[in-house]
Amino acid sequence: MIRITLENLLARRFRLISTAISVLIGVAFLAGTFVLTDTLGATFDDLFAEVNEGIDVEIRSAEEITTEFGVPVRGRIDEAILDDVLAAPGVEAAAGAVFGYAQFVDPDGSPMGNPGQGAPTYGFSWTDVDELNPTNLVDGRSPAGPDEVVIDAMTANDGPFAVGDTVTILLEGPPQRFEIVGVAKFGRADSPLGASMAIFDLDTAQQVLAEPGMFDAIDIVAADGVTADDLRDTLAAVVPDGVEAITGDQLTEEGQNAVGDALSFFNTFMLIFAAVALFVASFIIYNTFSILVVQRTKEMALLRALGAHRHQILGAILLEAVIVGIVASVLGLVAGIGVASLLKGLLAALGMAIPSGPVVFASRTIWVSLLVGVGVTAIAALAPSRRASTVAPMAAIREVEVDESGRSTIRMFAGLALLATGLAVLMWGLFGDPPDTLAAIGGGVVFVFLAVAALGPIAALPFSQVVGRPLARWRGVPGELAQENAMRNPKRTSTTAAALMIGVGLVASISIFAESAKASINKIIDDAFIGDLVIDSGSFGFGGLSPELAADLNELPEVDAASGVRIGFAEIDGEPQTIYGVDPPTMLSIVDVGISEGDVGDLHSAELAVHDDYAAEQGWEIGDTVDIAFAQTGVRPLTVTVLYTKSELTGNFFMGNEAFEANYPDVFDFQVFVRRSADFTSEQARTAVEAAAADYANAEVQDLEQYKQTQADQINQLLGLIYALLALAILIALIGIANTLALSILERTHELGLLRAVGMTRRQLRTAVRWESVLIALLGTSLGAGVGLFFGWAMVRALRDDGFTELQIPISQLVIVLVVAVAAGVLAATQPARRAANLDILKAIGTE
Amino acid sequence: MVALTDSEIYLTTNAAARAEKALKEFGSGDTSVVALDHVTMSVEAERFTAIMGPSGSGKSTLLHCLAGLEPLTGGSMYIGDTDLVSLSDSELTVLRRDRIGFVFQTFNLVPTMTAERNITLQLRLGRHPIDRAWFDTVVDELGLRDRLHHRPSELSGGQQQRVAVARALINRPDIIFADEPTGNLDSSSGQEVLGFLRQAVDNFGQTVVMVTHDPGAAAHADRVIFLVDGRIVHDLDGPNVDSILGQLRRLEA
Repeated sequence: MIRITLENLLARRFRLISTAISVLIGVAFLAGTFVLTDTLGATFDDLFAEVNEGIDVEIRSAEEITTEFGVPVRGRIDEAILDDVLAAPGVEAAAGAVFGYAQFVDPDGSPMGNPGQGAPTYGFSWTDVDELNPTNLVDGRSPAGPDEVVIDAMTANDGPFAVGDTVTILLEGPPQRFEIVGVAKFGRADSPLGASMAIFDLDTAQQVLAEPGMFDAIDIVAADGVTADDLRDTLAAVVPDGVEAITGDQLTEEGQNAVGDALSFFNTFMLIFAAVALFVASFIIYNTFSILVVQRTKEMALLRALGAHRHQILGAILLEAVIVGIVASVLGLVAGIGVASLLKGLLAALGMAIPSGPVVFASRTIWVSLLVGVGVTAIAALAPSRRASTVAPMAAIREVEVDESGRSTIRMFAGLALLATGLAVLMWGLFGDPPDTLAAIGGGVVFVFLAVAALGPIAALPFSQVVGRPLARWRGVPGELAQENAMRNPKRTSTTAAALMIGVGLVASISIFAESAKASINKIIDDAFIGDLVIDSGSFGFGGLSPELAADLNELPEVDAASGVRIGFAEIDGEPQTIYGVDPPTMLSIVDVGISEGDVGDLHSAELAVHDDYAAEQGWEIGDTVDIAFAQTGVRPLTVTVLYTKSELTGNFFMGNEAFEANYPDVFDFQVFVRRSADFTSEQARTAVEAAAADYANAEVQDLEQYKQTQADQINQLLGLIYALLALAILIALIGIANTLALSILERTHELGLLRAVGMTRRQLRTAVRWESVLIALLGTSLGAGVGLFFGWAMVRALRDDGFTELQIPISQLVIVLVVAVAAGVLAATQPARRAANLDILKAIGTE
Repeated sequence: MVALTDSEIYLTTNAAARAEKALKEFGSGDTSVVALDHVTMSVEAERFTAIMGPSGSGKSTLLHCLAGLEPLTGGSMYIGDTDLVSLSDSELTVLRRDRIGFVFQTFNLVPTMTAERNITLQLRLGRHPIDRAWFDTVVDELGLRDRLHHRPSELSGGQQQRVAVARALINRPDIIFADEPTGNLDSSSGQEVLGFLRQAVDNFGQTVVMVTHDPGAAAHADRVIFLVDGRIVHDLDGPNVDSILGQLRRLEA
């Protein structure tokens, strides 16, 4: 049987190519994701190892809180500890280290780098202890004094800047100008993975990056013969409470783990799309093998008549599938390396710059890709193989007629049961509280898709009548043929359409979700924002605008009120939370947060305003004292004095600047809200504000419409990425349509020959094939749009309490999807239509 | 065995189709095979012509070339006054659709279409109006009235061929080409179909050209042309089974 299988494969390799391609694409995506995340992981691992190479022990604050982004933040320690450390036995050398936000401004006045999305823009302190200094000067000298800086070689190149130039740097305070006294590389690299570095002497660094008298860490080199572990234990006894000592190896491991966690999120995100691609591919595989089995009925019957067992037939077809799976998976693995760099390029194009490093091809990538690729192919081919094995030895050979088997009652009830299960699981995931929300939603979605695919043949008939009848009237015989051929095997048609349905359904639901998000945000801005201008720093949580800017703006006659908004991270009940800091009276004259209880005048240094839903959830009331953990100040009791109802602009918690500054040593405004004076026009106010903000290169002055657009742009950017990834699923579906058509045309060789003989022109024949394809595409798109509408509606409704107040159906986008699907149907039909039209008439009539 | 010269072949002035020094070669160079070797002949209108010959004689090729299904290598081919050689593929297609009727041995019908829609296929392909009275006449004549809404799979082989004959008649073509129309039928169904082709000539004034290897079938024709090695070797007018068999024996001798 193995011989027969192999001969079959070789003889029919062209019919299996598109199946192989669909598996290949899915596997390539899977492998590409692994390669990319492994490569990134290794690159970051190397970076951490390099940074910490010379550090034997590090002393740092033991106060650490996790943020909602997963990156921990830590408090600072008193610089006096350094003296105790230097006095301890076994210490060869030790130096305080400080880092923080510092962003270069290029000679044209634009900020360099994008800390909100790309690599960070760091400022560091210089150390003269060589072991502890990961940088190497390539030009100039080390920084000394308050006006000097050493810059990284990447920034020197991009600026361009040279030693002796002056550069403006954005800092916690107002922007400052420094003289460049040196250019440094990071190890051998121009910069640490694309991050920029501004290196100051320690005093200056404390001044401009952190706070005087404080270090972020003290790094220590052990004396000869002293192990890092022993030194750590020694120092742990020396340092005060709230300060800890860890070895350089621990530090490296910690950093590597943190990046690993962040990457695993990214990995999951990408793997979802690989799974979608393979899910779609499985429909194509199923369909191709079903068609091939039908076409080979005669051959199966012969083999059975000659004494082949059923299990031998089953095995032969499955073996065929496995071989196709192996070939496709191996090719997919190779293609995965290309996909990894494509994905990297895609992310870079969207502003998420990713550092480069040597490509990592882990053995896990190989076996998972092979296992999944071969597994999906074999499982999808199982049902067709079983069908093949049940062919009776004397099976009658007849022309393929209209197949009615897709409309059975069993199918209907099974489909409906599957649909009900899928909906129940989906609703549970969206509105209930399952142990794993993502798995419940994902499972529900898969079930719904399978159910609709199972019910497809039943839906296909009325669909074809609605769409097909007018088509027949319009296009004449080609239209009739298109409709009849599309319906002659409803199972085949609807399986093909179902593959497209998945991609379209996901695109539709996500576009509804995104449009609703945009509409909801716009409504919030309209409802809550009383001001005229927003100055956006583009950063969130790292760096931003100096608070000096808001102070300057408040001096302007054109400005009635300007309020900065800060964000800080804290833990409440062990959960990471974001706390906003504002100047309450000013803020509330610009933004309506819907105070329901309390008075913002009472927000002093130990008071907190809480969103009423969150307070209700926690059982907090006005006057309650709650414990909040801060990185710098530890656990602090704060009194709830204000409750408010609108969480959209200030989150679940905000505090007065007094309280904010008491708990956060570094203060940046990430946005400044401005309300103009009634005595001036919008233009006048804007001109004045822009002039005042001119020194702050990262300050972007926006009116409300621009601000809304910025918010929408952020959503659109993510949307673009998701669409690009889903395009893959749609591409596979189109290959599926082309494949089904090609195989069907092969089956219909005789009748196509006949049609051509009795006077159907090539053009008419092409039209018929094209419209058949369009009908399949339309069926898939309609099913997808229907399912997508439902998913979109359910998602938005499920998130109503999280600010998704508006349900927006993007009609024009859905129409575009429909038009694109039709165009894609035409495209998919190109090759099959050409092949059909160029059939040799006499050969076609004479076949068999 | 001697081939007839051109002058010996009766060239009618009332020709529905003509071949002049028609040459058809398959392949090229040393491996080429001559299927039609400068054949000159004509098909008289409103008569029933049969083409016979051993396999490989070129009889099917002659029919295919006459019907515009196969291009010639050299010479000319006319349907009425239309020179097929000068036509493009799409012009040939339209000619087949509007001026020619076909009855093939197998695969005559489109399986997804009912008998009625198969019958009107050529008219509908050209978006021509259907002459209802003529349709009724043809359908009744062929006894297909109660089969019109059946698909081919629901019809017997004989019924399927009758539908094919009806399709060939419905647009009143210049010529009906029948390629072994009884080859796949039992003898009584075969007789029936031949009877209808005969009737098409006698009652409806149609022109029929039929390729067959069955002397009994050829005996229904008004004239039998014998082909051997791509040349016309005999032209028999008013044939019967005996004269055909006699001629075939002479060819084999």
